Amino acid sequence: MATIKTVATPAIAPPLSETSVLGWMRKNLFSSAFNTLLTFFTVYIIYISVKGLWVWGIADAVWVAENRRECFAINTDGACWAGIIAWLDNIFYGRYPREELWRINLGLFFLLMWMVPLWLPRVKAKISIGMTTVFLYPFLGGYLFAGSEKGIFMQIMLTTAIVCLLANTIHSIIGVFSGRSLPEFLSSLSGRKKVSDTTQRNIFLGLLALSFVVIYVWQMSWNLERVPWTKWGGLFLTLVIAGIGIASALPGGIILALGRRSRMPVIRVLSTAFIELFRSVPIITVLFMATTMFPLFMPQGFVLNKLVQVIIAVCLFNAAYMAETVRGGLQTIPKGQFEGAHTIGLGYWQTMGLIVMPQALKHMIPNIVGNFISLLKDTTLVSIIGLFDVLGMLRSISKDLPWLGLHKEPLVFGAILFFLICFTMSKYSRHLEAKLSTDHHN
Amino acid sequence: MTETKTQESEKTREQLVSAVSAEVIIEFIQVNKWYGDFHVLKDIALAVHKGERIVVCGPSGSGKSTLIRCINNLEEHHSGSIVVDGITLNRNLKNIDHIRTEVGMVFQNFNLFPHLTILENLTLGPIWTRKLPKADAHDLAMKYLERVKIPEQADKFPGQLSGGQQQRVAIARSLCMNPKIMLFDEPTSALDPEMIKEVLEVMIELADTGMTMIVVTHEMGFAQTVADRVILMDEGQIVEENEPGEFFNNPQHERTRLFLSQIL
Repeated sequence: MATIKTVATPAIAPPLSETSVLGWMRKNLFSSAFNTLLTFFTVYIIYISVKGLWVWGIADAVWVAENRRECFAINTDGACWAGIIAWLDNIFYGRYPREELWRINLGLFFLLMWMVPLWLPRVKAKISIGMTTVFLYPFLGGYLFAGSEKGIFMQIMLTTAIVCLLANTIHSIIGVFSGRSLPEFLSSLSGRKKVSDTTQRNIFLGLLALSFVVIYVWQMSWNLERVPWTKWGGLFLTLVIAGIGIASALPGGIILALGRRSRMPVIRVLSTAFIELFRSVPIITVLFMATTMFPLFMPQGFVLNKLVQVIIAVCLFNAAYMAETVRGGLQTIPKGQFEGAHTIGLGYWQTMGLIVMPQALKHMIPNIVGNFISLLKDTTLVSIIGLFDVLGMLRSISKDLPWLGLHKEPLVFGAILFFLICFTMSKYSRHLEAKLSTDHHN
Repeated sequence: MTETKTQESEKTREQLVSAVSAEVIIEFIQVNKWYGDFHVLKDIALAVHKGERIVVCGPSGSGKSTLIRCINNLEEHHSGSIVVDGITLNRNLKNIDHIRTEVGMVFQNFNLFPHLTILENLTLGPIWTRKLPKADAHDLAMKYLERVKIPEQADKFPGQLSGGQQQRVAIARSLCMNPKIMLFDEPTSALDPEMIKEVLEVMIELADTGMTMIVVTHEMGFAQTVADRVILMDEGQIVEENEPGEFFNNPQHERTRLFLSQIL
């Protein structure tokens, strides 16, 4: 018998549990006597722990005191945050000369200025902004942080970096307000309506060259006092090591991963050997090797400072880890994508750069950010080989005479600090994932 | 009205059939290929003329996909030689690069680039390998999108399109490279029945323009209306090769009769 539906079934409202808070609570928290009991028990546990933390960390805590003895005199049950507050500068900047702190702050400000456009929606040419950050900022930051005489190479790179920063910033401001790029804006100033791509580029390059000359002459008069790396420390040092590590790990990892998949046997074997060697050794060993063995391989009289050695070690170690992450991502790309690229005539590097990497990197974002987070936390190990990073600084509070024996508070403070940084990174990675998603499989 | 139109297209097709030139554009000479121990192509000899439409059919595993994938070097053959557009396929990378830009290919699974919009999918090849200016590549892409009748989807991503639309985009992507030869590797096998027709229509229109086409397919209706020659492959060999009328109505080989009885 045939069934024919002649009247459409009308839609009715969803059940209460799908729409109201009370309905949700009844369904998820109090659905049975046992579940109700569990809910109350859990709430009680949360209450005790939060209350304990609240009393120790905030209600009974001492915020203003000269030394630890005074803290105890005011309240023995609470945390002695006064010690942390007194050491804040040390925690953030280490033993960097106090009258030169503006250099670190300015350097960080420049970094922010450089990177903020990457997050602004209407700005064009984000890839070149990102690339200049990675390749040119180190010269600007390096000069600000370390100071001393500049060689001719350093002067050129420094000037280039400043010109780039200026161009980026103006470009971004124009982009936010008008949605155009800097070259487009410049050629529109000339009043003509239609300007060809080449003239547009020539105007832009001409202005860049002009500002290069001006800034080059100007920067010759700059004179920053040298701050030796032994004075670097605290969160600043941690961020320097981790920052360089993060900026170099991804490109290094991509090169190693491609090397490991290469058809050329020598490249493949070398990449594989490098990756496996670094992955099978603990990072602390790598750090010790870098500071004690590395100088033995160098020519006589060639002395690298310990900080540079440590940074090289961190970069190599993380590049090896990143390589495996990248390789995992590359394997998620179906063979058909390579074949599709092949049939429209793309070569190896074009296929990798335009088709494979953009897709693979998108799949890898959670893992890459995971690597970055563990890299940041791993840098605390440098305190073992005598660099005073943020953890080293936090631990020396307890050895400072006025705050002798103050262990708990610095570590809690360090935990909060790391949590804030790492949680931000992880949140940002979630945001990136959502933003870059173009798979519309629903 | 429609009748006159079909008559017209019939006429043009006839003209084109006669326009199949004597010039050989693809030639297989005693080609052999193995996957490990498995002998997948056995002594293949085949000459394709310029403007010819060839349909290759056969059971799965018979080597028909491998055959056409050898033409643009997606698979390497082990002995014998393949000459495409006057160039012998060998390990010379320059030759391969040249051939790849002359031979377009459409796959069963479309192989569109999911992270790029439809328009970007189409302009990528012209911009990066043909070195066209962006504006020209854009115009070219829109021209071909109109030809496959989906210009309104230009700014969407492949994942937002139906299978039939994606396959038409894939055809347009190949055409943007202005190829001399088009290869189709089971272009309708991954599609819902409702969508097969729209893809076949685009392919028939393409055949009417005189493009050299080699199509691996099980769509026998397509073979009957469009093909100049139908080839049946089995166990790595070309078993029978004939013009469609003879192939379907008067098959010579026992294997062909069996194959046709199973799929028709």
